[in-house]
Amino acid sequence: MLTPMTRVRMIGPKSALVQAIEELHTLGIVHLDVAGAASDSALDSVPEDHRRDRHRDELSLLLVELDALLSLVPATDRPAAVAGDHVPGSIDASAMRAAIAPTVHEVEERVRELEELEAEAVVLPRYVQPLRQLLPLVPWLADLSDRELALLRLDTAALVLNLDDDTVVSLLRAELEVELGERFELVATPVDESTVGCVLVFPHDAGDSVHGLLGREHVRHVALPTRYSQLSLRGAVEAMEERERLLPAAIQGAEEAVRELVVPHAAEWQLYRTAAAAELEQLEAIGLLRMTDRAYVMEGWWPRSQGGTLREELDRRLDGQVAIEESKPARVDSRVPVLLHNVRLARPFEALVEFLDVPRSASLDPSLVMCLFLPLMFGIMVGDVGYGVILLFLGLYARRRFARSAPVLRDISFVLVFGAAWSLVFGVLFGEFFGDVGKRIVGYDWAVWMYRPGAEALEPLLLFAIAIGIVHVVLGIVLGMWQAARFREPRTLLDRLGTLLVLIGLFTVAGVAADQLPEGAMTPAVALAVVGLVLVLSLHGAMGLVMGPLELLGTLGNILSYLRLAAVGLASAYLAIVANELALAGPIWLGIIVGTFFHTLNLALAGFSPMVQALRLHYVECFSKFFEGGGTPFHPFGERQTMGAETPRAVEQST
Amino acid sequence: MDIGTGLVAIGAGLAVGLAALGSGLAQARIGAAAIGAIAEKPELTGRAILLVAIPETLVILGFAVAAMTIVLL
Repeated sequence: MLTPMTRVRMIGPKSALVQAIEELHTLGIVHLDVAGAASDSALDSVPEDHRRDRHRDELSLLLVELDALLSLVPATDRPAAVAGDHVPGSIDASAMRAAIAPTVHEVEERVRELEELEAEAVVLPRYVQPLRQLLPLVPWLADLSDRELALLRLDTAALVLNLDDDTVVSLLRAELEVELGERFELVATPVDESTVGCVLVFPHDAGDSVHGLLGREHVRHVALPTRYSQLSLRGAVEAMEERERLLPAAIQGAEEAVRELVVPHAAEWQLYRTAAAAELEQLEAIGLLRMTDRAYVMEGWWPRSQGGTLREELDRRLDGQVAIEESKPARVDSRVPVLLHNVRLARPFEALVEFLDVPRSASLDPSLVMCLFLPLMFGIMVGDVGYGVILLFLGLYARRRFARSAPVLRDISFVLVFGAAWSLVFGVLFGEFFGDVGKRIVGYDWAVWMYRPGAEALEPLLLFAIAIGIVHVVLGIVLGMWQAARFREPRTLLDRLGTLLVLIGLFTVAGVAADQLPEGAMTPAVALAVVGLVLVLSLHGAMGLVMGPLELLGTLGNILSYLRLAAVGLASAYLAIVANELALAGPIWLGIIVGTFFHTLNLALAGFSPMVQALRLHYVECFSKFFEGGGTPFHPFGERQTMGAETPRAVEQST
Repeated sequence: MDIGTGLVAIGAGLAVGLAALGSGLAQARIGAAAIGAIAEKPELTGRAILLVAIPETLVILGFAVAAMTIVLL
């Protein structure tokens, strides 16, 4: 559910403003908003202050530098978040920048070295490959250095031609003959499928005309790095190959040097960052305030349930120098920030809801619906005891592994654990253990409900998937009706009601046709469907005849879409059986390798595909009936943030 | 296996296969655009998955036709 919020207005003397900002920042529970209505002429914005602006710029610069430095610290050595609050003006950003400056220069130097080495590792093979292939073509030239070539009054150029067709080299030769007559030597060899490497030897005095020609024809000239340019062709290739061998160790050494330089300072930088970020946030908050001649006015939001406690706490911290006014927002107020807060089991699903969008204020939070249905759908699709056990352990391990470092991954692994538990349940119902391995071991069909890959299971499986779809989509429609009633949107409410009536009517007719319901239900069912259809058609006005049926078809398509529960599940079960059949086809050692390979592949698919499909069924099929996104997330002023790691939400700290 | 059963199997295979082909073509284009959008705005990841997954309904409908072919014929 969405946490109910209260609009808070705080008024206090100007002299206590700095203290008020710092205390609010320390509390970390108020989502600040622009104070006062635009029409309120009694309130002024905070006047411009160049000193404050300069201080803010310095802090921003300091933060950028600190973030850049901290990004060089390996994740394993990164210090934890540090809580810090500072009164505006108490941090000397220039002194901090001066304190880190010597290390910054040294780090910049080391990073530059590292980047040069990395660039060399990328570029060097591009020189070596064509030159290595050209060596055998010009053995008489290979051992001559630049100086020796100069004595012979000769110049050389290594060229790379993009091979659009076979005539490129001969065209170049023809052009050179026009320029130089017989006074040149051109040898060529293919480097790869699309390029040809060439060596061109020409008289020194024809250098200008040759380079002019090459420029006009857009021929790429491979200029050797200066350190190799004085060597002979063979010597340069050997030196570059030697350098290629040494580069990985040099890069590793440079990385180690950077690490050794930054790690000892990481805790100090993190402390600086926290202080600077806190102060910058406080300075920026001043822009949201309004002033009178003697008082400040701040406005924001806090969770309604904690209003009393927060009011008392703020009053105590500010020595009673603040008047706090709370007001309940209007039923639909887009300014209200959104904070999801659900029962413990549903909380990991909040991240998956926010993955799509933040719900609009006062709308429905679908986390609980996801908590109930998403793991169930995952379990139906995987439906295998063996895979379920492995996914359960993987999920538990990931949850432990990411408990602190990555809350979103921790939440997703918790969802995986839920899904794996349902996989075990459906694995028992379907009698599957790594496909048909369980059946082969015990020698009989041990499925409690039905053996899924069996021919007779197809029909009940499809009906089961459709049934899940009907429940899920109808739940979405009912929630949409409830929300429309809450927002006082009668057209939406009647539209949803019409769709629901048509669905009930159609499925009752289908039930009667399949002899599952008494014949007497047929007339009321048809009546319901007709009433619903007329309702939907009439709501769309002149376009109703087109839009109404399209919308109803879309809803039926939504329900049919749940057939993927059966389809993905069957694909997984059959792949497991294929893995077992292949494993038994050859000798036992080969069987173990083949079986392990295919089951691992199936497990990887089972961990990913059912999760994406279940998410899609929620996002597209169910949420489209009621979910309204576009909400503003609740970001309390003073929420603790650190480089590279998320910190617990302020509300979680206080609840 | 008689020829009728074989034809049913071929029909079911075509129903899923051709639908998968169409779905794949659509997903290829949507996926490329989605990755471009995510590169610009990572917060669009959720909506990108949603958009990429939409054409899969074609395969599911193909699967429904294939299943009906097998069950009813």
